[in-house]
Amino acid sequence: MVGEDIAFWLAYLTNGKHLQWYASFRFTILAALLGGLLALGFGLLGAVLRASRFAVLRGIGNVYTSMVRGIPDVLFFLFFPLAFEQTAEWIWAMQVCTPETIAASQALWPPCREANWLLSTNQYLFLACVSLGIVYGAFTANVIHGAMRSVPKGQIEAARAYGMSNLQVMLRIQIRQMWVYALPGLSNVWLLLIKATSLLSLLQVADIVWWAGQLGSPNYFPQAGLVHGDWRWAYFFALFVFYIIVTFISERAFQRLNVWARRGMPVEG
Amino acid sequence: MAVLETFWAEIATFARPALFNIYFALASLPVGFGLALLVALGKNAKNPIVSHLCAGFIYAFRGSPLFIQFFMFYSIMLALNPVWWRPMELSWLMMNPLFIGPLVLVFNTTAYTGEILYGALRTVPRGEVEAARAFGMSPFQVFRTVTWPNMIRIAWPAYTNEAVFLFHATALVYFTLPVIGDQKDIMNKARELFERDYNAVLHFSVAALWFLAITLVIFLVFGRIHERLMRHMNIEAPKPKLRFGPKYIR
Repeated sequence: MVGEDIAFWLAYLTNGKHLQWYASFRFTILAALLGGLLALGFGLLGAVLRASRFAVLRGIGNVYTSMVRGIPDVLFFLFFPLAFEQTAEWIWAMQVCTPETIAASQALWPPCREANWLLSTNQYLFLACVSLGIVYGAFTANVIHGAMRSVPKGQIEAARAYGMSNLQVMLRIQIRQMWVYALPGLSNVWLLLIKATSLLSLLQVADIVWWAGQLGSPNYFPQAGLVHGDWRWAYFFALFVFYIIVTFISERAFQRLNVWARRGMPVEG
Repeated sequence: MAVLETFWAEIATFARPALFNIYFALASLPVGFGLALLVALGKNAKNPIVSHLCAGFIYAFRGSPLFIQFFMFYSIMLALNPVWWRPMELSWLMMNPLFIGPLVLVFNTTAYTGEILYGALRTVPRGEVEAARAFGMSPFQVFRTVTWPNMIRIAWPAYTNEAVFLFHATALVYFTLPVIGDQKDIMNKARELFERDYNAVLHFSVAALWFLAITLVIFLVFGRIHERLMRHMNIEAPKPKLRFGPKYIR
């Protein structure tokens, strides 16, 4: 009997829909990795801007890094893809729209039907990665800004004494030396970012959360597979556990990385 | 001036939706703080079962996305509806987003605040606790006169940060729970208006302004409380001015 049960559950958990669910983890993983990479890029840019000599650039850097603390990330997450899509459609409309087609168009947006751009899943996914990058780039910028200032003064003075220019000091000393100080902060931003990857379904990506909702909803038609009640709680609980495990693994990995990066450095009391 | 008028009208439109976000934050913060105190004391307890349970709770709710927690609790409530809530005639309460929303937020903020308070609890000077013991104080007296005042002063800046994060998290409530009738929060309203006239910049920036304004109020109120908590320190030093002091890590 137990063997039959196991076989039944194995068959259920490996049916076509479930395999699609497992396959949709690629969206989450890609969003985390690409989003993280972009966040690092935006973060470096933001930190360099904040440390700039020019007040205007410094201002831009400061606004960029503090805006995310006054405004929730979900708002940016929805806004950036929409704004990008609309800008692209607007530019496209200036090329293809004629006064006749604009007059013929019933909808408020886009200006004419030729300029309509329906985004595919992959395009939405890419835009989602970019918005993750922008939002968590601001967090990263703050971490890196702090880390660059904790690089020992002596090293920077030594570089200056060698006759390096400001840019050279920045590129060769500050950005190379700051990683050790930035690691704990970066680990925190990474943990925030993985949690934010659960929001992909808001951008119409059929990600793990969307699939969990689909698979768990009650099914009353035998031809659509196993007849069952509302099992969504079990699927969402599985995701809950999945994210806890990912957090745990990330924490461990960052601990290892930190030990590796700190080798040879004086132990801080 | 038509632009400005649209702008003012837009700001006014968001006043009622903003009340929902404020309600969610206000309903969950005080309860969450009380529970967090218990969880923090529990994590610090000598009893291994209690401390592991509390530590596990904190780890689970800090390590998973709030978005999933909302879905999970809502689907659990849905599954329990025919078994418990309907026979007990509690459906009107248990299935109400105005109840489930704060419920999940309470769990979430309890975990985050619990970790903050636990961290603060560990930094309470040992000598002061021992001195209080030596005076013959009961455990409750020690807590009330030594541990609590020290703890709350250390934890307050981080707790301010948590309150801001929780307020921002209220934006997620109606992405996961059903919107009943006219109960729309800021993000719902922004999306609804956007779908009507496709003016993303106007609607989303006004929504952002509302969040920003309420965040500043939180910083102001919590800053005042912090000033009051620290009123015995540096009487001669000039009082710190109100500062938009973002901390980036929750």
